[in-house]
Amino acid sequence: MLKHRAIIDVSGLPATVLDHRSPIWWGNTLLLAIETTMFALLVACYFYVRVVDFTVWPPPNGNAIPPVYNTAPDLPLPLLNLGILLVSLVPMIWADRACLKRDARAVKFGLTLCVLLGIAVIAIRFLEFKSLHFKWSDNAYASIIWTLVGLHLTHLVIATSENLIMTIWVFVKGLDDKHARDVRVTAVYWYWVGVIWVLLFITIWGGARWL
Amino acid sequence: MSAIYALVLLFAVIAISRRNRGSDEPILSPDPKREHRLNIALGGFALFTAAILFYFMVSDFAAGRDMRAISDPNPLRVLIKGHQWWWEVQYENAVSSNTVVTANEIHLPEGKAVQFDLQASDVIHSFWAPNFDGKKDLVPGHPTSFAFRPTKTGTFYGQCAEFCGLQHAHMRFTVVVEKSDEFQKWLTAQSQNAPVPATELQKHGQQVFLNGTCIMCHTIAGTPARGTLGPDLTHLASRQMIGAGTIPNTRGHLGGWILDAPRIKPGVRMPQNVLSPADFQALLAYLEMLK
Amino acid sequence: MDDSEKISRLSATPTRVSEQWFEEPHAEQLDHVWSPPRGFLGWLVTTNHKDIGRRYIVTAFIFFLLAGILALMMRIQLARPENHFLNPDVYNQIFTTHGTAMMFLFAVPIMEGFGLYFVPLMIGTRNVAFPRMNAFGYFVYLFGGLMLFGGLLTNTGPDAGWFAYVPLSGPQFSPGHRVDIWADMITLTEIPALVGAVEIITTVFKQRAPGMSLNRIPLFVWAQVITSFMVLFAMPSIMLASGALAMDRLKNVNTHFFNVAEGGDALLWQHLFWFFGHPEVYIIFIPGTGFVSTIVETFSRRKMFGYPAMVLSLIATAFIGFGLWVHHMFATPLPKLGQAFFTGASMLIAIPSGIQIFCWIATLATGKPKLKIPLLWVLGFIVVFVLGGMTGIVLASMSIDIQVHDTFFVVAHFHYVLIGGAVFPLFGALHYWFPKWTGRMLNRALAQWQFWLFFIGFNLTFFPMHILGFHGMTRRIYTYLPETGWGNLNLLATIGAATMGISVLLFLINVAVSRKSGALAGENPWGGSTLEWMTASPPPSYNFLHLPTVAGRCPAWENTPETPVVSGLSTTEREVLTTTILDAVPEHRYEISPDSIWPLVLALVVGLDLLWMIFTPWAYPIGVFVGLVVLAFWFWRGNEPGWVVEGIMSTPPKSKTEQLALKTEDAKAPSHH
Repeated sequence: MLKHRAIIDVSGLPATVLDHRSPIWWGNTLLLAIETTMFALLVACYFYVRVVDFTVWPPPNGNAIPPVYNTAPDLPLPLLNLGILLVSLVPMIWADRACLKRDARAVKFGLTLCVLLGIAVIAIRFLEFKSLHFKWSDNAYASIIWTLVGLHLTHLVIATSENLIMTIWVFVKGLDDKHARDVRVTAVYWYWVGVIWVLLFITIWGGARWL
Repeated sequence: MSAIYALVLLFAVIAISRRNRGSDEPILSPDPKREHRLNIALGGFALFTAAILFYFMVSDFAAGRDMRAISDPNPLRVLIKGHQWWWEVQYENAVSSNTVVTANEIHLPEGKAVQFDLQASDVIHSFWAPNFDGKKDLVPGHPTSFAFRPTKTGTFYGQCAEFCGLQHAHMRFTVVVEKSDEFQKWLTAQSQNAPVPATELQKHGQQVFLNGTCIMCHTIAGTPARGTLGPDLTHLASRQMIGAGTIPNTRGHLGGWILDAPRIKPGVRMPQNVLSPADFQALLAYLEMLK
Repeated sequence: MDDSEKISRLSATPTRVSEQWFEEPHAEQLDHVWSPPRGFLGWLVTTNHKDIGRRYIVTAFIFFLLAGILALMMRIQLARPENHFLNPDVYNQIFTTHGTAMMFLFAVPIMEGFGLYFVPLMIGTRNVAFPRMNAFGYFVYLFGGLMLFGGLLTNTGPDAGWFAYVPLSGPQFSPGHRVDIWADMITLTEIPALVGAVEIITTVFKQRAPGMSLNRIPLFVWAQVITSFMVLFAMPSIMLASGALAMDRLKNVNTHFFNVAEGGDALLWQHLFWFFGHPEVYIIFIPGTGFVSTIVETFSRRKMFGYPAMVLSLIATAFIGFGLWVHHMFATPLPKLGQAFFTGASMLIAIPSGIQIFCWIATLATGKPKLKIPLLWVLGFIVVFVLGGMTGIVLASMSIDIQVHDTFFVVAHFHYVLIGGAVFPLFGALHYWFPKWTGRMLNRALAQWQFWLFFIGFNLTFFPMHILGFHGMTRRIYTYLPETGWGNLNLLATIGAATMGISVLLFLINVAVSRKSGALAGENPWGGSTLEWMTASPPPSYNFLHLPTVAGRCPAWENTPETPVVSGLSTTEREVLTTTILDAVPEHRYEISPDSIWPLVLALVVGLDLLWMIFTPWAYPIGVFVGLVVLAFWFWRGNEPGWVVEGIMSTPPKSKTEQLALKTEDAKAPSHH
């Protein structure tokens, strides 16, 4: 049945947009807002116990044999890992840009590199836990920093897995509009993983030396 | 505030009950001049509300300041330690052997400022004697204190005001405010060791106490009983209530408590006790002389 | 310049406004595309926002009934001093479960359910932005609720209060798994709240009807959006707190967040809990104001007075709500100066709420009010909530609060504001929207009995509690001594509670009877002003035959047959229109995901994993791994037809060539008039 009607014809509008105008982008950003709030609250806990419950910071480790008096987390390995994580942002930015031009080859290359670097960061992260000089069950300070590092590790794993799926997809199914949008949104998640680690790094490694 | 509440209700009722003879058609463009006047009126109401709230806030600050202004450089200091589900009371003294330790009953001299130092030993409790002051929480890791000056003699009640487990409902205490000299007499008596048993029955009772499980939790000053898990019993018979202010301190209640405390206060740390009738009577006789 | 021209001029990309005949989507075609499969399988895989919204509402109401029964049991125990109806262990589990269920399983989810059902309808779209995530959220909520009541029925119900203060709830003083069930259930119920918040914000920002600029969004939708923002920032706090508590309690983990002996802090728990806990009550109250605004507007027969003030008040309430939490901690050893700030803030929040009340009354006063049942509930709301607000001001004052804190005065206060501010509007909303869900009206006489029994019963139950609080009756006690003299008022309260129970029973009877034999409702029985009243009752799976456009705040009153509708979206795939955030200018087309079994699968993984986490920490990494695998299946769908489960569910979408062919054919067909 056809009728006379005033209409707004939207068939000419694009079916996909690749930036903040996409609902997918909004969903991702709002989820990141939730996770950021979570980390912010944990950092608040860190400062809270420092001010209210401890006089020596970081506290000495009496459980270790022999006891460790200076328990500030080591710098060399974690600093290296921070560097690798920040370096991994570069191929991701490259792949991100390439999506705008639908350059499948560049996207494949950038994503693969990012996944490999991500796996390296995860592997080294497991070694980083030793540099904390505490077991998570030693005291409240240890519990908080283990949770901060562990939660970030969870994000590293999830984000790298997401990057991996995106990579496999481009290889198997190619780079169409929708997938280019998905890669760009995944890139935002990876940038967040990197940037938030900078803030957490300063809190944990800096807090131990400056508070 | 009730006046404001009544006004709001009045306006609401008036708004609803105006006779409405018009059609059901929605008003698509309300009269702009009237809307404007209404805007001004409501703005005024909002400002009025803000002013009243400001007044309340300032009164609260003034009241708070007054309540905290107990200026006495030398208050009587009482240490309160909260346990699940009883109150440990210690009257501090410069000479530590003169410290008075009791439980669930606090005596205070009329007219003198008292400072309560509050410590929690297990979970969070809250010390609340409503006739005197607001409550203060006992939080593990955060010792605190507050002060007030009792101005009337009498016997008053208080209770725990923060959920602390199974018997939170039965964690009460008694506050007795008396004249200065009577308070001094009480304090001196409390600082003595326990009275020595005189009769055979009382001596037998003391033996039952010292040979049984009682000494694992309770202290009676002047005897080998030095347990600290439960209330100090040195002057048990001087207290009005037992079971943390919940049952009267009479022979019958005390007997029931000793034999089966968990039936009266399920969850209490004190176990049931099996005693022969002779031992039981002797024990009661001994405890009743601990004034 | 008429509105359709205005809309077209706003558009960034060319849109044609014309009066030509155009391709009319058949209702059956749209229904075929947007309906879930039939039968039980369809129930498992549906991603339709109305199905999921309805599920939330029904499930939450069932939890309301269960928690209400727990309340009746508590009231029976407290009716006489030294009663032996419940022993302290059972009583502690019951009062903890009552509070936990009411707050986490009833109040927030039911508001979310109304939002998920009505927001897409009110903004003129066909579904929420992420339908599969929506389905996932519901199943996780269901598992959380089952876990809590499963615990209660097996004598492992949590017993440390709904607020679970440490150290009482810690490993030393609450051994066993009771508090573990509580902690993990929290995570399971926060996930749906967060997921729902993301849905609502994204949908409202990006999928509004053309012309529905920010200043034309219905107040109900504003309330849902603002609540969703509050959820985003408040829920992480309780997730963190309950996660930390769970870790402290797990045998092989043994962290020390709250263990004083190792530098942890008992007050840290309270800060984290109440940083969530105070916004939580506004998360419950603000959607209630959305109900009230909708009902007031419809039954005053005029648009809301002071719309900008209303929106700003909602936003102010949300902001200030984050700055109040320490007023729950006035009795703890905190610095006095800091606490003074929170007294001021707690009083400040009364101003935006007051402004809203003034605006509602002004709307009624300058309209043509009809006292139908929903408006009766709004009146009840004003009476009860404003009284609760007044006692709130009393509690905000720290000097007074340290006397009445943790007494029944507080119990009275929060029941007045929560039941007054959320449950009264809720019953009004249930009565108002029942015709839209079922196509039939509720029985008016029964509803009047229900209202008056509830109103009288409520006041009989909770008003005496103010007095009990002043007489020193503390909270969370399973009994009290006869010499306190609290017995008579408690008995009165119990009688009131029974009355409320009868009222709710009447409501259930009304629903059961009216569903089959209530008067037929039609599209718009109340003459409402918002878009949901411009489609059938109940709405079809695709919501609107033509997606509407709007040119004002009350489209159901203002739209005419000349108001343009949207055309050009696919009729063979699930496609909606996205518009710009500020002015709702058409922007692009957005493909909505199909029905799918993967949300249920992921919810099962999450639910079982959190149950397992009660027993071992290894459940966490294993759960993350399995979850990632399931997510890979979830996302591995393309535009090709027939991917595993989703392929057998719905008709595979036609290829692009076929679609083009269809369009050209219809374009060539002659007019059928």
